[in-house]
Amino acid sequence: MDSDPMVALTGQVARDFVGNDAFQETDTTGVTTPVTKDNTFASDPDTVGSDVSEAFALAREGRPGPTLVDLPKDVSNADTDCEPDEPKVPDTYEVQERADPEIVEQAARRIENSSKPALLLGGGVIKGEASEACREFAIEHEIPVITTMPGIGSFPEDHELSMEMAGMHGTGYANMAVTHCDTLIGIGTRFDDRLTGGIETFAPDAELIHVDIDPAEISKNIHADYPLIGDAETVVTQLAEEIETSPQATKWRAQCQQWKSDYSMAYDAPEDRPIQPEFVVEALDEATSDRAIVTTGVGQHQMWACQYWTYTEPRTWVSSHGLGAMGYGLPSAIGARIAADDDQEVVCIDGDGSFLMTLQGLSVAVRENLDITVVVLNNEYIGMVRQWQDAFFEGRHSASEYNWMPEFDKLAEAFGARGFRIDEYDEVADTIEEALSYDGPSVIDAHIDPQANVYPMVPSGGDNGQFALAEDQL
Amino acid sequence: MTGGLDGPAPEERPTPAGRRTAQGIRVDPEVEAEHEPRRTVISTLVEHEPGVLSDVSGLFSRRQFNIESLTVGPTDDEGRARITLVVEEPDPGIEQIKKQLRKLVPVVSVRELEPDAMRRELALVKVNAMRPDQVAAVAEMYGATTVDASPETATVEITGSDQKIDAAIEAFSQFGIREISRTGTTALARGTTDTARETPPEESAQQTNPQQPHADDD
Ligand SMILES: Cc1ncc(C[n+]2csc(CCOP(=O)(O)OP(=O)(O)O)c2C)c(N)n1
Repeated sequence: MDSDPMVALTGQVARDFVGNDAFQETDTTGVTTPVTKDNTFASDPDTVGSDVSEAFALAREGRPGPTLVDLPKDVSNADTDCEPDEPKVPDTYEVQERADPEIVEQAARRIENSSKPALLLGGGVIKGEASEACREFAIEHEIPVITTMPGIGSFPEDHELSMEMAGMHGTGYANMAVTHCDTLIGIGTRFDDRLTGGIETFAPDAELIHVDIDPAEISKNIHADYPLIGDAETVVTQLAEEIETSPQATKWRAQCQQWKSDYSMAYDAPEDRPIQPEFVVEALDEATSDRAIVTTGVGQHQMWACQYWTYTEPRTWVSSHGLGAMGYGLPSAIGARIAADDDQEVVCIDGDGSFLMTLQGLSVAVRENLDITVVVLNNEYIGMVRQWQDAFFEGRHSASEYNWMPEFDKLAEAFGARGFRIDEYDEVADTIEEALSYDGPSVIDAHIDPQANVYPMVPSGGDNGQFALAEDQL
Repeated sequence: MTGGLDGPAPEERPTPAGRRTAQGIRVDPEVEAEHEPRRTVISTLVEHEPGVLSDVSGLFSRRQFNIESLTVGPTDDEGRARITLVVEEPDPGIEQIKKQLRKLVPVVSVRELEPDAMRRELALVKVNAMRPDQVAAVAEMYGATTVDASPETATVEITGSDQKIDAAIEAFSQFGIREISRTGTTALARGTTDTARETPPEESAQQTNPQQPHADDD
């Protein structure tokens, strides 16, 4: 779902054993069919090289996605004189780069005549390297910009036109804008239910211009009035060339600004309560550069990391979107560290529950001496679950209380990483400074208010415009 | 509990006038908005390789598409097989089926057939043959041939539309049906219309701007 180009090479029992329930045999191509873009059982040492090249080509081409080659032991051990083919997708795989010019023209007229236009930028904008083109387009025509969660970073959140993220835990102003616009230009987005809330009330007055490289995403969840199949950057450029006059939307932009102040994300940080998580996220953002990369687990901390960090660059937000897989934070921080430039900090904002799922990765980080900083927003709860239990299940905390959490700072030290702990507001800035300046893996165990909740919130299937600002509005 | 934000409460906010249907289509009072399911035939040409059939059938169960029948068989090109699907879905569902099928890498081409396409199914029906003359009479009525006979049983082969086969089975049931095996519908488009075929290379090179990825698709 997240369109990540990934190649998995999996080990299989020798060909003669396949199908006999041999020791450690699994029907890997069978079980991975629903979750891969394509997979292959490499049946011949002479063609295995080409199978792998093709897997690499397919993972990247068109809408990126995971591919897999299953390698029987006797195939991977065999000798061959054959050279692999150049990476090339099969002939049956075709990708359309340019959208139908007639529909582009109609969409352009619609944008010109719109009085409440909004851009909705999804992860496809970043994957398709279209962030720059979208920025220019939005600024040239002064169109307010909303992002999805995977689209974070495609447009600078400190720009006046930015409404930030919409959806379940999106900002109030983004949800107002998406609900009230009359023309929605969705680019590289799947219209996931966490974004749309109830379909009936999603952008109900808007004509939808939908740009996507995957034809199957068009009109899957929300009917596209202007279906534009193609590469995000190419189609945005086509649209930009076609539009002659910017939409007249002064009143709408003023309205959007008004919503930004009406539904400001300003939070309370009472002195008599433990540290609020938003404060820690803001302090981290403050202490790092604009190009710092944030990775997360899944839960409340992930939402605070979306809401209270100001993202200005594509590929600085790394998270598990479509599947919401806890435990994603540390492994993805390790990957990001290896891929990132040396001057980019890599910060993993994790939950205590999520961190516990994969923290053995610290041994890799220590072995490779990777400069990453993990900040655990430790509420001693499986917090997001606790929040739902409070809101929808009369506070019955079933399996969500974790007051036997390990001391993560000591655990980090046990792995050979640096460990820190924060309990008070006045420790926040200094501890972050120290952890960031350590050249190697470090973990800050930040004990935050266990009762802190994430708002705004659109309950599952709810109306985006009716987001709750507090529990009594749910 | 902490974490609430300030701002106008939900009931104080303006609400938009419009709505969408559950299928994501903006409700326009002028236009009929809900789509009723309809039955249609989708023909796909696929690479003849292991796993294609499970790719296609897995897709249908995974995405909860309503499938009535699926048949598969070789074609004149030994590298290609044809899968014929009868599905019942509302229009947006049928569009999704076609798009999702096209996404499968071994799928070469996909086409929804016109309602007048030739559709045929074959059934083998084994009945009790206590009254062989009457069995023969019913068989003749439906153009069925007897392919096996024993003192106690007769097996007839019927070809035709699924309605015809349903009717024949109904008629044979008076003798007592022992077993039935049906193939499911296979189909070809009429006349010079193509069912679902390979795009010849020169044709795909000429495509200036295909809105659909395959030129011969609908
Ligand atoms: C692997 C996995 N298991 C379960 C869930 C369901 N789930 C979503 S959020 C959440 C709680 C996460 O707790 P924690 O990591 O402590 O973060 P917090 O919400 O407290 O910030 C759970 C259990 C999931 N998304 N992924």
